[in-house]
Amino acid sequence: MSEIIKPTKTLDVCGKICPYPDMDTMTTLKKMKKGEVLEVLLDYPLSVERIPRNLKKQGHKLISVEQISGPNHRMLIEAFGLK
Amino acid sequence: MTTAILSGLFVGILFGFALQRGRFCMNSAIRDSILLQDFVLLKAVGAAVLVQMLGFALMSLLGWIKISPTPLFWGANLVGSFIFGIGMVLAGGCASGVTYRVGEGMTSALSALIGLTISATLTAMGFLAPIKDVLQKSTKIMVGEANPTLANILGLPYAVVAITIAVILGGVWIFMAMKNKDDSEKKSNLPLSTKIFKKGWGWLATGVVIGLIGMLAFVTSTWAGRSYPLAITSGWVTIAKMILPNVEAKMGWDAYLVIGIIVGAFLAAIIAGEFKIRWPGWGLLVQTFVGGLLMGFGAVTSGGCNVTHILSGLPQLGIGSLLATISIVLGAWVTAYFIFVRRNA
Repeated sequence: MSEIIKPTKTLDVCGKICPYPDMDTMTTLKKMKKGEVLEVLLDYPLSVERIPRNLKKQGHKLISVEQISGPNHRMLIEAFGLK
Repeated sequence: MTTAILSGLFVGILFGFALQRGRFCMNSAIRDSILLQDFVLLKAVGAAVLVQMLGFALMSLLGWIKISPTPLFWGANLVGSFIFGIGMVLAGGCASGVTYRVGEGMTSALSALIGLTISATLTAMGFLAPIKDVLQKSTKIMVGEANPTLANILGLPYAVVAITIAVILGGVWIFMAMKNKDDSEKKSNLPLSTKIFKKGWGWLATGVVIGLIGMLAFVTSTWAGRSYPLAITSGWVTIAKMILPNVEAKMGWDAYLVIGIIVGAFLAAIIAGEFKIRWPGWGLLVQTFVGGLLMGFGAVTSGGCNVTHILSGLPQLGIGSLLATISIVLGAWVTAYFIFVRRNA
């Protein structure tokens, strides 16, 4: 667990409004293979709380949410591999 | 006048603070129910409406407030609110949502708010006014001298009907929640001050607090001679009139309220470390502006935005607000479906 996880892909949705951070994250994850890791950079408080609670429904796994500074967060998600 | 300034600002600051902490936005609440099958914010809205329904009923029995339901003009309610629903999805926030997010530093919310204010003012007194007037006058229905409510069309007192509905709906809700236990929120051992000032609030806390603020709004605005609970669009129209030359206007309770909301949300965001000037790119900025334009026209045509109709109107049982609510939801769902669901299918 302690090894540094290298994201397969990075998605920067900083500045984006509702619901783009969530939608972009979900659509990107949909296209990724099982086990690939998506890094999401976001600064929208609602989505920081909403994305984790909606990931499960699609089977994706939240690896970590890390606060970089203020509203800026970095999220690591393991794709379920819907494709 | 001082009452209006102080109480309007005070309630606005509380409201803005709660909106920011609870991430309370009816656009998200309505849209997420179809888009993400996420019902958390919708539950907060439901809780706020039920708290106010009970609260308004009790306060009207005590004689603190006089119920003032929105007018029923079904054509204007249906058309205006449908357009409002479309607009709020494009704008990325409802009327209260875009107002409080300005305090968080979101430029997209500011552009939506400017769009809303411009078109709301043009619909209230500018070249769009005739469309609104025709729609409103040709479809207006009254019960005697009063605006129709679920109570007066049944010939029953408001308080009786409101308390009955609130208790039944609340009871069914609590029963359902007990049955599906997974509904309960995670318990945490963080200190209370951290929970209030640093973390986002849970839906129940958010809903109840906003419900109580709505009650406070009704009482204090009654003192200020206005007699209506929370509302957004009218306040921005007043501020626009103040800015315009050759237009007579006076700052009222609702104008101080909207200013207070921005201040409250700003304070909440600063304390939580969530304030940041955010830049969404020109494309989104144009989209939110257009969304704001549609919202402003829709709100004034329908006699109110989502706050007037859903948050403040439903608890007063106004039929016009009920129609408007249905229409806002439909407009939002249709738009969310076309721009998000289909795009990603």
